[in-house]
Amino acid sequence: MFHAFDNTGPNKPLQRPDWMALLARAPLALLEQGLDQQSATEPNWLRRPETGLYMVQARAGGTGERFNLGELTVTRCALRAGADDSGLVGVAYVLGRDHRQAQLAALADALLQDPVQHEALDAKLLQPVRKHLATLQAQRAARAAATKVDFFTVAREVDGIDEEDDA
Amino acid sequence: MKAQDLQQVRPAFHDPALGSQAVFRAALNALSHPGRLNHMPRVTELPSHGHGSAAALLLAMVDSDCAVWFSPALANTDTAAWLRFHTGCSWAASPDLARFLWVATGDALPALNTLAMGSDEYPDQSATVVIEVNALSENAAQGTSAFNLRGPGIADMQSLSVRGLPQDFVEQWEVNHQAFPRGVDVFLTTVTHIAGLPRSTRIGATQEA
Repeated sequence: MFHAFDNTGPNKPLQRPDWMALLARAPLALLEQGLDQQSATEPNWLRRPETGLYMVQARAGGTGERFNLGELTVTRCALRAGADDSGLVGVAYVLGRDHRQAQLAALADALLQDPVQHEALDAKLLQPVRKHLATLQAQRAARAAATKVDFFTVAREVDGIDEEDDA
Repeated sequence: MKAQDLQQVRPAFHDPALGSQAVFRAALNALSHPGRLNHMPRVTELPSHGHGSAAALLLAMVDSDCAVWFSPALANTDTAAWLRFHTGCSWAASPDLARFLWVATGDALPALNTLAMGSDEYPDQSATVVIEVNALSENAAQGTSAFNLRGPGIADMQSLSVRGLPQDFVEQWEVNHQAFPRGVDVFLTTVTHIAGLPRSTRIGATQEA
């Protein structure tokens, strides 16, 4: 589902789209934890959090006609880290209606652009998020695996009968 | 719009609802009383280029359906990025494709008859031009073109002195007025004030003061 973002390759440096994709899916608890006391600072807003709808379009099989799949609730915001006009700008688009989550994701985006803080934040914030998403993925895969039907076995059972009919 | 542009962007309305309403009221007053000076309330943070009143006016009026043309002094500045970030408008490649035009002081005004005039069925699909001028006054002043305005919204005659419009503006305006109901509407702005010139207004009996 999110493979294009998550499989960045072993030696590729982490780019801004990569960490923004991670932050967009980070649960609020992990954001609060990872940002610690930085999450308490009053944000310098460029665009206050606003909630709206996106129409998601899809193609059947990835190649068919484009159709409207459905609407998604998205909250977005943009802020400047720090009080003056020189601070880095962070942007977040997250699913749902949680303004606080969007705010913290944008703040983390801004701080991650700062080379001085990048390493520490990567370990403290992004690593737990990666772990959380991997766990979710594994759970989902396990649940799906339990419903797997092995058609191969069924085909083998009727194998002999088919041959007799043909003969 | 690139990430570098975003880094330069400044905030907009302090309060989006009340701010845009206050600016809209000023714009409404300006168009319903052509030539009268209206103070533009200071309700928004401003970009570094362009008049504050022009910035506030466009911030309130423009949305994502609008293509905005910026005169050369404004194009490629943080002003263009600021308006795009906060309103979602697109940048028009040439003046004739734009629904709103922002002409900075010192930049040439595109000929009015080349802009979107709308059609007789849809006269609303025309351009609105925001022109920054050096000075606006309701009384005659030194070195200005004095306009005597007549038309809807003016009881008898409204005088308006402007410094910073091209020499042939009155002739261009006459052509624009003749095309009614088609035609462009104009806002003249100083740093703090705006005046409206809707297409229904006639400019007559001008003299160099």
